[in-house]
Amino acid sequence: MTVSPKVASWLQVAPMAFVFTAMVLIPLGIIFVVSFLDYNFAQVFPEIYMGSWQDALYSRLTVDLYLTVFKFLLITLTITFAIGFSLAYFLVFHVRSNGMRLALLAAAAIPFWTPGPIRMVSWVPLLGKEGLVNQALLGLGLIDAPLDWLLYSQFAVVLAYINLLTLAMLGPITHSMAKIPRSLIQAAQDQGASEWQIIREVILPLCKPGIAIGTIFICTAVLGDFFIVKIMSGGQTNTPANAIATELAAFQYPPAAAKSVMLLVVVVILVSVLLRFVDIRKELQR
Amino acid sequence: MMMTARGRPLSFYVLAGLMALLLIFLYAPMLCVYILSFQGPDGGMSFPMVGWSFHWFEVLFEGTGGHGIGDVPNSFRRSVRLAAFVSVLSTVIALSAGMAYRRKFPGSNFVFYSAIAAMVLPGIFIGFGIALTFNLMGWTINWWSSGIGAQLTWSLPFGLLIMFIVLGRFNPAYEEAATDLGANARQRFQMIILPIILPGIVGIFVSSITSSYEENARTQLNVGLGNTMPMEVTGLLTGSSTPVLFAIGTLTSLFMFALILGSVLLMGWMARRRAARSEL
Amino acid sequence: MTQTDKTKPKAGGLSRRSVLKSGAAAAAASAFPAPMLWAQNIKDIKIVHVGQSYSTIPNIAEKANEDLDFTVEMQTAPDLTTQVNRMLSQPKSLDVTDVGNTTLKYYVGRGFLQPLNVSEYKYWDKTVPLFTSGTYPSGEKASMQGYAPIKAQYYTGPDAMEYSLEPTEWLVGMPLYYNADTLGIRPDLIGRPIDSWAELLNPEFSGKVALQDGTGVGVPDAAMALEAMGDVSYVDKGNMTREEIDKTIEKLIEYKRDGHFRSFWTNFDQSVQLMASGEVVLQSMWSPAVTEVRTRGVECVYNGMKEGYRGWYIMMMPMAHLEGLKRECAIEYMNWYNSGWAGAFISRQGFYNSVPENVKSHMTENEYGYWYEGKPATEAVLNPFGKVMEEAGVVRDGGALWDRMGNIGIWNTLMDEDRYLVRRWQDFLAA
Repeated sequence: MTVSPKVASWLQVAPMAFVFTAMVLIPLGIIFVVSFLDYNFAQVFPEIYMGSWQDALYSRLTVDLYLTVFKFLLITLTITFAIGFSLAYFLVFHVRSNGMRLALLAAAAIPFWTPGPIRMVSWVPLLGKEGLVNQALLGLGLIDAPLDWLLYSQFAVVLAYINLLTLAMLGPITHSMAKIPRSLIQAAQDQGASEWQIIREVILPLCKPGIAIGTIFICTAVLGDFFIVKIMSGGQTNTPANAIATELAAFQYPPAAAKSVMLLVVVVILVSVLLRFVDIRKELQR
Repeated sequence: MMMTARGRPLSFYVLAGLMALLLIFLYAPMLCVYILSFQGPDGGMSFPMVGWSFHWFEVLFEGTGGHGIGDVPNSFRRSVRLAAFVSVLSTVIALSAGMAYRRKFPGSNFVFYSAIAAMVLPGIFIGFGIALTFNLMGWTINWWSSGIGAQLTWSLPFGLLIMFIVLGRFNPAYEEAATDLGANARQRFQMIILPIILPGIVGIFVSSITSSYEENARTQLNVGLGNTMPMEVTGLLTGSSTPVLFAIGTLTSLFMFALILGSVLLMGWMARRRAARSEL
Repeated sequence: MTQTDKTKPKAGGLSRRSVLKSGAAAAAASAFPAPMLWAQNIKDIKIVHVGQSYSTIPNIAEKANEDLDFTVEMQTAPDLTTQVNRMLSQPKSLDVTDVGNTTLKYYVGRGFLQPLNVSEYKYWDKTVPLFTSGTYPSGEKASMQGYAPIKAQYYTGPDAMEYSLEPTEWLVGMPLYYNADTLGIRPDLIGRPIDSWAELLNPEFSGKVALQDGTGVGVPDAAMALEAMGDVSYVDKGNMTREEIDKTIEKLIEYKRDGHFRSFWTNFDQSVQLMASGEVVLQSMWSPAVTEVRTRGVECVYNGMKEGYRGWYIMMMPMAHLEGLKRECAIEYMNWYNSGWAGAFISRQGFYNSVPENVKSHMTENEYGYWYEGKPATEAVLNPFGKVMEEAGVVRDGGALWDRMGNIGIWNTLMDEDRYLVRRWQDFLAA
């Protein structure tokens, strides 16, 4: 029995399409409808109310929220890319044994297996005013008084993002880089290219798919996060996802719904712009 | 130069240093977890240490009734059960979907952006939507229906993107050669594609286990009776809790270390065996 | 809102009718002794209690299953949001629930809870008057600022459509436990007595103060402080007008911009960490959290302020879908929960039970004296799990039950202008 390629693809993608339709798009539909409805005290009334959208689209608050989160996103992307790319290069071209490479990647992944809430508890004894870092700096005589911006600050938020997300950049880039044929690099070397030239002219362009996917991971993680912002800033920084969480905790579904749809649109625009530069899906087709 | 086998260039040492720094940075917050899990029986969840003991590990293994431990042993069992189903399902579904993307097909954008939506939409909302839909349909929420479904919305997008990485720039020449040699579709998959995408399968499997084990926002409204690990831990933190929580952290790390050390040793052994065989 | 029940097409209809029906069944059942044939079926019944970590403790479940003929299964909700969302989206997946007073306004008239008839609850006449009549034992009227117990204790009728300020025979639920919160203080780092909420916003403690996140508790706390300082005056700070909300938030934004707040906290553990680690020297806390700080060897006091305490309570309620034998069992379980053993267990964490008389017989004289009567401990006071909480000789901060509960300045709240308040709170968080 033979099926046309199109039908074959449909059959292969069907289970995933089913899960997304039933479990994501139906809730999304509900969210979309709810965003236009009136509400009070954990109740949504079947009456049109545009206030949630007006507030989401035209308020000063929205500008502040997105400015904050884009600042976080840019810093996080820059730093995780710098670390991720350098270390991918190290793992692929410097580490000689396959086992060692895997062991290093695995060692970096192990901390993430401890339930998140437990992991977050441990930042206070580390970064707090009486925490290990401050004590070490005081002990070394580098500072006179404990630094209070190490914790409950925007610095702390970015630090936690880098801690959690570097691996999301490192993994995909390592994979892309490992696929680069050694013969290509050998050829460049034979022509007298320097290590730096090879990195810039050969390796970097060929790692684009990995970088793109790492970027998608980080964009969605940072824009969708409210937990880390809340814990690390001590609840004193507000981002779009955080505003949604605050409204959900007050059971005010319509404004939270409007903000969610808006957030989704922003991320979809970001991702489609990214795909314009690197179409990761094209890489799959010949 | 980077390719020479002899003598390490300076960049090696710089980057090795960076790698070490990253590992220290990743483990720094965990260090407190490890140390505090050996807190004495009278100690609490922060420094100072009130003596050293294995007390909290004992409490963990005693089962119910211990101080501040809640329903942790059962929750752990439920989480493992859920993770087992979710990871197998995710691997199969994402693998299949990934293969679909090797050709152009109408609707590919639809599935891709659904995946992006699944990653971005607030988990609480997706969870609430699923629970509400089930209620409207007159179905009861259950870990094996709504629970697994809710978790798949979190694990599948990662699975799909991992497939994109793995299948990217996959040389079709191998397949063509196999077809020329008379291999059918199944043989092609088994002999050519499978070995190449195996790391991807392992990757999806591991990432799905992690997603499932960590997920809270979508899961909590949809597992029905019986908490999962993250639910129970979050619940415990709303009241007086104890270093038992840190003991859990230490044990999971130890367990994963053992698992990874085991697989590295196994792979090394397999590689040596293969090498020995090919010499014959 | 209509609810359809697929298994019984005839019974499908307004929840009002099913409530009436089960109410009638209950009335009939209480008029006659339980028939013997129920004894066999009762073993198959399972009551699911979804609550918070301080009420759904495995030890209590174990004891309940020992004492009762049916099965009780407890589930701890990760947080209040999840618990309420579960009730809203899947009301039939639980049978009994307990929730804090700040959410009670969400449930009235929604049809997923049912009233408890006074005749079905054995201990109503032994319940403290805060709940039965809204007064202190002295007969004096308790504060009505915020969500006071009497505001959501009675329904106007069996249809559970409206709360009644006057006693009726339909209880919203069974009051479980309650407490009076105040400022937790690090005396070693402050060095002088603190006796007013105004100190929370005293510039002296800039950068060393925390606030509870959220509008139900954080705002009342801040309002207590602003009112005590004379910065903002309120008609009812537990239920502010828009102008009062604006003034409050603007003041708070000023403080936030000056770096007055070190952090906001959302759960028990964070509040303990902040205090124990010295990040914060002054913050509103829960009684068990203060005890927890002390057991870590850190000094922490919890005395009352001259403006009074901030009170709160937890209510236990049966879900609307319960009927027949299962409903009987759920009500029996609720009665069991306040019959003393569980109340004593929870009291050892520092909360008060609504039927102190029942609790007394399940506590030692020393325990009851310490937790309820403000007497010095005659020997070490242990928590429910056997850990030493206080040494002999110590007196509970604030004293006896009514020294604390009899002086409430405000209750945790959910204001009429909640929509506006949450919106302004967002501005505050973003500032």
